[in-house]
Amino acid sequence: MATDASGPYERWVEGAIRNPQKVYRAMFVVAAIFFLVTTLFPLYWLVVLALTPQEAISNVGLLPNGFNPGAFVTVFQTVPFHWYVFNSFVLGLLTTVVVLFLASLAGYVFGRLEFPGRTPLMLLLLAVSYFPPAAFLLPLFRLFTANVTFLTLPGGNAVTSPMLFNTPGALVLPYSALFLPLSIFILTTFYGQIPDGLEKAARVEGTTRLGALFRVIMPLSAPGVATAGVLTFIAVYNEFFFGYLMTDGQAQHWAPVVWGILHFQGQYGSLYNLMAAASIIGVLPVAIIVVVAQEKIVSGLTAGALKE
Amino acid sequence: MGNVRLENLTKRYEDTTAVDGVDLEIEDGEFVTLVGPSGCGKSTTLEMIAGLTIPSDGTVSIASRDVTTLPPKDRGIAMVFQNIALFPHMDVDDNVSFGLRLRDFDDDEIDRRVEEALEIVQMDGMGDRMPDELSGGQRQRIAIARAIVREPEVFLMDEPLANLDAALRVHMRTELQRLHRELATTIVYVTHDQEEAMTMSNRLAVMNGGQVQQFADPMTCYAEPDNEFVAGFIGSPSMNFFEGAVTAEGVETAYFDVPFDPDEVGVERAREVTLGIRPEDVARSDSTENLTDPTEPVEATVDVVEPVGDEVFVYLLLDDQGGRDASEGELLMSAPPGPALTDDVEGERFRIRMDRARVHLFDADTGDAIVHGIAEGPSHEAGAREVESD
Repeated sequence: MATDASGPYERWVEGAIRNPQKVYRAMFVVAAIFFLVTTLFPLYWLVVLALTPQEAISNVGLLPNGFNPGAFVTVFQTVPFHWYVFNSFVLGLLTTVVVLFLASLAGYVFGRLEFPGRTPLMLLLLAVSYFPPAAFLLPLFRLFTANVTFLTLPGGNAVTSPMLFNTPGALVLPYSALFLPLSIFILTTFYGQIPDGLEKAARVEGTTRLGALFRVIMPLSAPGVATAGVLTFIAVYNEFFFGYLMTDGQAQHWAPVVWGILHFQGQYGSLYNLMAAASIIGVLPVAIIVVVAQEKIVSGLTAGALKE
Repeated sequence: MGNVRLENLTKRYEDTTAVDGVDLEIEDGEFVTLVGPSGCGKSTTLEMIAGLTIPSDGTVSIASRDVTTLPPKDRGIAMVFQNIALFPHMDVDDNVSFGLRLRDFDDDEIDRRVEEALEIVQMDGMGDRMPDELSGGQRQRIAIARAIVREPEVFLMDEPLANLDAALRVHMRTELQRLHRELATTIVYVTHDQEEAMTMSNRLAVMNGGQVQQFADPMTCYAEPDNEFVAGFIGSPSMNFFEGAVTAEGVETAYFDVPFDPDEVGVERAREVTLGIRPEDVARSDSTENLTDPTEPVEATVDVVEPVGDEVFVYLLLDDQGGRDASEGELLMSAPPGPALTDDVEGERFRIRMDRARVHLFDADTGDAIVHGIAEGPSHEAGAREVESD
């Protein structure tokens, strides 16, 4: 079949039939390139936009029309952008703490105890975690803006829900609920793998069940706890929907980083270069966390099964 | 004082009863072993003493105090586990001092006690090692140090030697006995290894089917087992059993008869019994010096000879006299080694005798012991040790 007349493509195909590994490698390269372009190109485009001066922002090509690194400083002068970043950080950390605590309790129960209804409850959790967050918004908004009356006292005074709008509570509560299921799943798996003997030993030595959870099971599941924590933090940091609607957008009212970026969009024009610069600054902390934590998580996972 | 009392202790799971009404009185300072085959409820019993498993019924008292509803940490116990269960994220010092730190001892006291405990288990100077840097035996010592450092009323040990290799296991066995002598603390020990149980304990609680079959010192369990299960479980190799019936002339089995007068021995006639005889109480008819009261000789064919060094196990096939399945007539004899007992004798005919004074009779239905050793009349030196009936 292979004749001298065959072209390079035909020869490649013939080689591939004899050696399928070649095709798999080619497919991997194509997929990887596709993935890299779709994820990295928007970032690159942000850099191009950020560096282009405001007046030259039309008809931008693959290279910036000029060079204006000052945009990264102007961002903080126009809007208190650092406050928005700070807000998102605090919201992320608070939520992570709440989620890790609650998911640890749930993970312990689901992972280490036998009780009737465990599987149905787990499935219910899974189902709830797939509800669209928008479904919760209206009731939660009414609840957090003191519009829900729980009961009316004899004197005519009403006990209403607290006014949480513009406070961290209005965000941390729904975030914790939304991101809890994922962490519960991760921690259930990890806590379930800690040998029974270690928990028993801790309990005999003087802890309660909860003590054993936080002194022995949780430290030994560090990779899992780190994974759950990082994923929760990143999810909250990136969250837009509730962050946009549960605050009025003022930095002092706990508006998150997305609000900060939107502030560069005025009624009469949009400062696209500043929005791009702010986006890059906003992404940086998460990118750093991912790089640092990923190494930790991977090293924790490859450390192998726990020996007693 | 560190006595342990179990009353009607029961653990039921949905479809099974793991522990079924266990009553035990363990004295202060005693080394008691719960021994039995796997699934007999011994570990569950220990966990109920520890408080790791909540009993369905019954009470646990430690040091004359009802602890049935107390959590493990408040029971004054320490436990050593089969899988050792050192905390892998803590070094030796932190592992050993874990319980003390939880109880807010001051630092000097903790240091002093940890040092002392490590000295007792001969691991001093290893305080900053991590558990995965230690060998199996060293880890087990640290686990023991962690148990003794709190000076508990009672030590609970759940097959602590099961994961060690054979040589180390025998070594640790003596170490544990030395430790028990030094500390003079009550130890409740669980094992499935009857040899371990026999060698280490003051008393054995032989368990089967969630119930205590016999609670006595090792030699009593060996020489006067309360029932067929204990007789078969204690002692290695296991006792030989033959089904038979009591007639006016004694016991008849399908393979041989042991004649005696049932009235004098105190056994009802026409009763279905199981006859038990230990391999060491069987001998060739020409070397009966170890038998107190040899029976009439019985013919048998040598099937397999297994020399194990200080003794030889001879598997004999008794001649079938009752027309039953031939494989049932197997009798194991343990004899001192000699030139006459080699593989060459396999297939030969032996004449053997048994020690009447060491024949055990058990009720064929209930398995309860009827009599240990057959002796007629007061003239016999080896008096029959009749079993008290309840």
